[in-house]
Amino acid sequence: MTTYPILSMITFLPVLAGAAIFVCSERVARWLALAGSLATLAISAPLYSHFDKGSTGLQFVESVPWIPSWNVVYSVGIDGISLPFIFLSTVVSVLCVGASWTAVQMRVREFYASLLLAETAMIGLFAATNLFLFYVFWELMIVPMFLLIGVWGGPRRIHAAIKFLLFTLAGSVLMLVGLITLLRASGTLDFQALAATRPNAALQSWLFVAFTAAFAVKVPMFPVHTWLPDAHTEAPTAGSVILAGILLKMGGYGLLRIALPILPDAVRLFRGPMLALSAIAIVYGAYVTLAQTDVKRLIAYSSISHMGFVTLGIFTLNRNGIEGAILQMVNHGIVTGALFLCVGMIYERTHTREIAAYGGVAKLAPIYSTFLALFCLAAAGLPGLNSFVGEFLIISGAFDTRPWYGVMAVWGVALGTTYILWLYYRVALGEVKPGLRALRLDLDLREVATLAPMAALVLTIGLYPESVLGFLRTSVAQLVVASAASAAVVGGM
Amino acid sequence: MISSLNAIVPMLCVTAAGLAAMVAESFRDPGERMPIAGLGIVGLVGAAVATLLLWNHNVSSFGVVSADNFGLFVTWILIIVGALSIAFSGPTVERERLPAGEYYALMLFAIAGMMLMATASDLLIIFLALEVLSIAVYVLTGIRRDSAQASEAAFKYFLLGAFSSTFFLYGIAFTYGLTGSTHLDRVGSLIAAQAMAPTPMQLLAVGFLLVGFAFKVSAVPFHMWTPDAYEGAPPAVTGFMSTGVKAAAFAAFARVFLTAFEPLRGDWGVILSVVAGATMIVGTVVGVAQSNVKRMLAYSSIAHGGYLLVALIAANDVGKGAVLFYLLTYAVTNLGAFGVIAVLDNGDRANDRVSDYAGLWNEHPGLAALMTIFLLSLGGFPPMAGFIAKWYVFSAAVKAGDNALAIIGVLTSVVSVFFYLRIVVMMYMTSSSQPLRFPAVPKIASVALAVSAILIFYLGILPTRVLDWAAESISTIF
Repeated sequence: MTTYPILSMITFLPVLAGAAIFVCSERVARWLALAGSLATLAISAPLYSHFDKGSTGLQFVESVPWIPSWNVVYSVGIDGISLPFIFLSTVVSVLCVGASWTAVQMRVREFYASLLLAETAMIGLFAATNLFLFYVFWELMIVPMFLLIGVWGGPRRIHAAIKFLLFTLAGSVLMLVGLITLLRASGTLDFQALAATRPNAALQSWLFVAFTAAFAVKVPMFPVHTWLPDAHTEAPTAGSVILAGILLKMGGYGLLRIALPILPDAVRLFRGPMLALSAIAIVYGAYVTLAQTDVKRLIAYSSISHMGFVTLGIFTLNRNGIEGAILQMVNHGIVTGALFLCVGMIYERTHTREIAAYGGVAKLAPIYSTFLALFCLAAAGLPGLNSFVGEFLIISGAFDTRPWYGVMAVWGVALGTTYILWLYYRVALGEVKPGLRALRLDLDLREVATLAPMAALVLTIGLYPESVLGFLRTSVAQLVVASAASAAVVGGM
Repeated sequence: MISSLNAIVPMLCVTAAGLAAMVAESFRDPGERMPIAGLGIVGLVGAAVATLLLWNHNVSSFGVVSADNFGLFVTWILIIVGALSIAFSGPTVERERLPAGEYYALMLFAIAGMMLMATASDLLIIFLALEVLSIAVYVLTGIRRDSAQASEAAFKYFLLGAFSSTFFLYGIAFTYGLTGSTHLDRVGSLIAAQAMAPTPMQLLAVGFLLVGFAFKVSAVPFHMWTPDAYEGAPPAVTGFMSTGVKAAAFAAFARVFLTAFEPLRGDWGVILSVVAGATMIVGTVVGVAQSNVKRMLAYSSIAHGGYLLVALIAANDVGKGAVLFYLLTYAVTNLGAFGVIAVLDNGDRANDRVSDYAGLWNEHPGLAALMTIFLLSLGGFPPMAGFIAKWYVFSAAVKAGDNALAIIGVLTSVVSVFFYLRIVVMMYMTSSSQPLRFPAVPKIASVALAVSAILIFYLGILPTRVLDWAAESISTIF
């Protein structure tokens, strides 16, 4: 175990770097942002090397009284469930800095400061071990994201930013009500203490509705998903990557961290509807994706379908399903993030997102098309690439408990293969579109360096899924056992 | 004998500064520049030192002014309000060619009245203080004599204010008729000794006092004057009255209702809950429809009055300090926001429409960032002070069993975020065809704005010390 406060360091280093950016010139700002996010990634290394995979408790715990009179503590710590998300946040942030290097030319300092503030909020959220802190970081995430979409976004950015804000705020207000009620009922906000002293079944149902509403908006689950296509489409590339890569995972993480361990009776009660909504998201999302003509919108709708797998996996409530859900979140973050990076790179050259404007890109930009092919195949769930493992686990988890939902999921996979390969076909293959020939379409070194880590992760997780699953196995097992056992105890009373 | 003056030393300092400002004005040649505002700051510093020395001593003067920690905490808030308001007033006074001596003297007299109101422990003294501060603020509202809008605002404010004062006075008369005293301690013990069921007389007394206070804190349905007065007054004055008057009125409100009328809590609690709920809802919902920033912030301050009322209703063991902490954060935040408006005010154009803020970020990124901080804090975003304050109030309400109020509070504060962020959208995401023209930001004002922002972050990130002070302070009265 390390002795220095590593989690606090990686949480607050980005925001300090963000503050430092304001005192330097725009040229330096990019380098400083890169240095800040890289340093964060570097400092986080001991989290993986010193993580005890067999331990069921929290690790790297730090705890300082914050507001003693309210019994509010600044406490952070990680277990196997939060570690993958911290990894994802630190990696994605670095790549976002890289991806915006030339794309962002306006208000560079403010852009990178917002990005780094968002990184702090993300890492803090995944490291928090009490609800108060969780909520603080949850809210903190809203402002930089709002600015990223609204200031640096596309033509309809204000509409998208406000839509994002309204949905998110509607969710977080319900969470705040739930939070205060939970505090009153249990007298604590610490996750572990809350899981030990659960509220009664009736109250749990109300709390579940309040919290899940907030998480469902973020995931986003059907039918509160409508903000996502707009936000994704209008956001700048880095904004889309953060949205897809991390922000959506905050919802899934919240379900795992709060709903399952603290409100298990309500989870059982609402399981049917949640599974149904997940299945609808998978199939409906996939059909809507098929109809898209805008690349970014297509990927946005595919996110809804893919995140449907996540919620489906979570509410199977068995080990396979939950492990698959976490892995799927990581994979989706990597693959969709990478796809958005790819779209952003070609958009910088062509300034169009209409699929119809592309064609034959493979002939003009072989390196680009190779990356695109890899990520498209990964998104389609090709065995040997990362998404396959997560989807496989989720589907097997679903077949263990509710086979029909497994069938729906398989249907979703089939549709997913169709729309993503059709996208690749339309963009990269076929006749070269006349407008493209004059452009220098292929990637430069910086862009290759941005995509290569994603590609490496796709292959690593695909070929050796244990590299992620190893970390989360113990924690997930504990989560499944704890929520199942307690439900029986409480139910018997 | 002289020692019995101790409790009023803070207001004496401020009053002396006000008198000095008047004298200075009479010696000033037309057009001569005099550091009259500096006199006010000196007076406030004196008051601050006096307050510091009085802390924990719980002294009382003439038996009717008690400098307990509760009163002193509010005095502290008022000193901050005064200092920031004076700092924001400079450009207005100069540009509008207002008589500096009059302006600052009125402001200082108003502060003295507020301080008296916060520490008074006798209903008649509270009334006296109320009049002192009100008359000064009426005049300040209409100090731009050549502006029809300002005169209209001042007149409206004056008429309704005078009306509410009579209610208040009537309440005092009924209280005296019931108990034979106007001193809060005696009133409290006599009411507690009277029959268990509240008599109609008691309810009338409570009701009239409630109406009087409700006017001053602009609670629904007595809020009608607020938007007009806030819009008509110069922005620095609006900032001053939206925070100072509210702080003083809430201090007296809390003192009267939590000590003298504590035995009747069951009765006034219900009425006040309805008022608080209506205040939050009306302030927020109507605020959404505003296109003038000052009117919008007027409705926002009505809504914040509603949150303060919730804090008052929920003043239990947990939520004791909520009123004071909320007052402090609200004062700093709202003054900051009005400070930005005051800085943008430019002789011929007030620049106070929401659309005037378009592209402010390009013109003056610093001001835009500060305004964002103030607005986010008003909306209750972490890690700003507004979040901690709201959390305090709502969790106190839930602990006290007022779930409905807490839920209304949470919902309305989300809706309010929507209109606060409209300004942010304007500043950052829209560009204007004609750039906003406003005079250079004076140094003092930018320092004051920076101080407000720092205080907001301090209270939001490390609130412990101030929270404890607030809780300890209010425990000196109940």
